Amino acid sequence: MSAATNSGIKRSRRHIGDHPLPWLLPLILLLVTFTIYPFFYNVWLSFHEFAPLSRSLEYVGLQNWSQLLGDTRFWQSLSITLAYFVVALTLELVIGMCIALLLDADEPGFGLLRALLTMNLVIPPAIVGYMYLLMEDPQFGVISFVLQMFGLVDTSTPILSSPSLALAGVLLAEIWQWTPFMVLILLAGLRSLPTEPYEAAMIDGASAFQTFWRLTLPMMWKVIAIAVLIRGIDLFRVFDYVFVMTSGGPGTATYTLSYYSWQQTFSFIKWGYGATLSLVTLIIVLVVANIFVKFAKVRW
Amino acid sequence: MSKVEFKNAQKAFGAVKVIEGLSLEIPHGSFAVLLGPSGCGKSTLLRMIAGLEKLTGGEVAIAGKRVNDVHPRDRDIAMVFQNYALYPTMKVRENIAFNLEIQKLEKREIERRVSEAADILNLRPFLDRYPKELSGGQRQRVAMGRALVREAGVFLFDEPLSNLDAKLRAHMRVEIRQLHERLGATTLYVTHDQIEAMTMADIIVLLDKGAIVQVGTPDEVYEKPNSVYVADFIGSPSMNFFDGEIEADGEEVRFRAANLSIPLEARYRGQAGKSVKLGVRPNDLHFAADGAFKGEVILSETTGAEVQIHVRIRDSDVVAVAPRTERRVHGEAVALSVPPGKVHIFDAQSERRIEPQ
Ligand SMILES: Nc1ncnc2c1ncn2[C@@H]1O[C@H](COP(=O)(O)OP(=O)(O)OP(=O)(O)O)[C@@H](O)[C@H]1O
Ligand SMILES: [Mg+2]
Repeated sequence: MSAATNSGIKRSRRHIGDHPLPWLLPLILLLVTFTIYPFFYNVWLSFHEFAPLSRSLEYVGLQNWSQLLGDTRFWQSLSITLAYFVVALTLELVIGMCIALLLDADEPGFGLLRALLTMNLVIPPAIVGYMYLLMEDPQFGVISFVLQMFGLVDTSTPILSSPSLALAGVLLAEIWQWTPFMVLILLAGLRSLPTEPYEAAMIDGASAFQTFWRLTLPMMWKVIAIAVLIRGIDLFRVFDYVFVMTSGGPGTATYTLSYYSWQQTFSFIKWGYGATLSLVTLIIVLVVANIFVKFAKVRW
Repeated sequence: MSKVEFKNAQKAFGAVKVIEGLSLEIPHGSFAVLLGPSGCGKSTLLRMIAGLEKLTGGEVAIAGKRVNDVHPRDRDIAMVFQNYALYPTMKVRENIAFNLEIQKLEKREIERRVSEAADILNLRPFLDRYPKELSGGQRQRVAMGRALVREAGVFLFDEPLSNLDAKLRAHMRVEIRQLHERLGATTLYVTHDQIEAMTMADIIVLLDKGAIVQVGTPDEVYEKPNSVYVADFIGSPSMNFFDGEIEADGEEVRFRAANLSIPLEARYRGQAGKSVKLGVRPNDLHFAADGAFKGEVILSETTGAEVQIHVRIRDSDVVAVAPRTERRVHGEAVALSVPPGKVHIFDAQSERRIEPQ
C-alpha cells in the first residue's frame, strides 16, 4: 500500500478502457433508483410532517430537527444504541478471534467445524429473537434456568423485563448469531496469512502469545478493520431482536435508534420525524465509519 | 557443545520420500557446507534440524540430545531462510531485533547489535523501511541480519548470499566465518557457489537425491572425489571425463581410449584390463607440443585472470583452464598433457573411485 502511495502512482488490477460509461450505466441506474432517490426523498421528508387532519405532508421547516435536539427519548435511544454497539462489537470480535484461532488448523474435521459455523447465520434474526425470548423466559427458559441455578438471577427477576438486564438479554441473541460471522471473516484472513513469518518467529523464539501480538494481529489488521466496519454498520441499525424480544421495553431500557424511528414512523405516523431520526442515524454511521476508515488505514 | 547429528533420518512428504535413511555427524564448532543439485533435499535437512519439518523416521540430535520432539524455539538455533521469511509488518530494524526483544535484552544492547549488523550488511539507510519496500538483495541482507545479531549454538544458512553482488558476497563470506569463529557455533551452510563451499567449509557434505554421497574437507573432496558424481559436481568448470581401459605393458601402465594413451602411476598396475573413466580437472591440463590430448580449439572464454579453452578431441569436448596470456584462436590445432599424478580413475560400471595404494 505505502509503496503505491509513496510514489503517487496508483496501480490498478484491471485495465479500464477509454469509454467506461457503457459499463457504469447499469450500476448508475440501480444506484439512482434504489439509493440516491430514496435518500433525497428522505432528506425532503425530514422538512415535512404528516398532518392527520389534512391527510397530507406539510412543510414544517426545521421543526423536526429542533425537536430532535431537545428530545430526551432520542438521546436515550442514542446512548442505548451506542452501548449495544460497543458491547456487541467487542464481544463478537474477541470471541470471534478466539474461535477463529482455534479453528485455524489443517487436521481433518476442522473443515466440517468451519462449515457448521454458518448455521447460526442462516436463521432469520427474527426467529433467533423468538428462540431467545423463549430461552430467557423466567418459567421454562433454559437460560433463565441455568442462571438461576448459579444464583445469578432469581425467579422474581425475568431477564427481559428487568430494566438492568433486558439489554444484556437482547445482546445474548445478537452475539450468539453474529459471532460466527466474525469467525468466518477472521478465519478467511487467518487461512490466507503466509506461513514463512511464523517459521521465522519460532526460530526467533517467540511464544504463542508474542507471535499473536507481534505477527498475527498486525498482519490481520486490515481484515479485522473490514470485519469491524461491516459488523459495526450493521449493529447501528439493530431492530429485529428488540422488536421481537422487548419492543423497546421495559420502559425505555432497550429503545434503540432504529426501533425509535420505526415507532415514530409507523406507529405514530410521524413520517417527517421518523425520517429525521433515520437521517441522523445515517449521519452518525457515516461520520464514525469514515473516522474509523481513516484511522484504521483501510484502503477501498 | 552443539554437535549436530542425524541418525538414519528419514523424511517423506506423503508418498514422496525426500530423505531416506541419512546419517551424519557435524562436530561441535565446525562449519559444514551442504552441496547438491536443486531439489536434493538441502533445505529439507536444515528445516529438520530447525524443527520446522517433522522426521518420518530416525533421529536428529543437537548437543547429543535427541530433539525430534523439541519445539524450534527451544533448540537454540538461528536460521537464514532460503525465502527470507521476513516479518512483513515489521520494519527492518524490528525484523532484526525481534529475537533480541524476545530475549529481553537491554535496549542499548539491542540498539548496538542492530546497528553493528546494519553496518556489516550496508543496511543502515533501510532500517526504517518495511520489507516490501526493499529489493530482493536487500531483503536477503535483512534475513542475514536477523542471524548476525544472534548468539545461537547452531547456525543454519540456506543460500544466504545467493542474491548479493560479488563484492558484498566476498565481504559477507568473511563476516559469516568470523561470526562462526567468535561464537564457536556449529554452522550448516547451503550454497550452490563453489567458491563459498571451498573457502568457508571445514566439512563439505555432498548430497544427491536425499542421500549423502561424500563427506570430507574441501581438499579431500576436491582432490579425492569418491565418485564420478562428486568429481563432476565439485570444481568449476567441471572435470573432463574419458572412457577407456587400463593397460599394463611391461614396465608401463597406461590409460587407453580410442585415440588416447596416457601414462599412469605404477600403482594402477593391479587394475589392468579394467574398463574405467578417467577424469582430469581443467586446470590440470597444460599445453605441451607432445601432449596426449590432440584436438582443435573451438572456443576460448576469458574469465578475468584466466581463460577457459574448449578443445574438441574426436567427438568429445574438453575444457582447459590457462592463464589469460595463453591466447588460442578458433580452429588452432593444440595438444594438452596432464601430469600422471593429477588424473582421477573411476570404475566404469559403479563410477566409484579406484584408489590403489
Ligand atoms: N512440502 C513439500 N511437499 C512435497 N514435496 C516437498 C515439500 N517440500 C519439499 N519437497 C520436495 O523435496 C525435495 C527436496 O526439497 P528441498 O527444498 O529440500 O530441496 P533443495 O535441495 O533445498 O533445493 P534448492 O537447491 O532448489 O533449494 C524436492 O524434490 C521437493 O520437491
Ligand atoms: Mg533449498
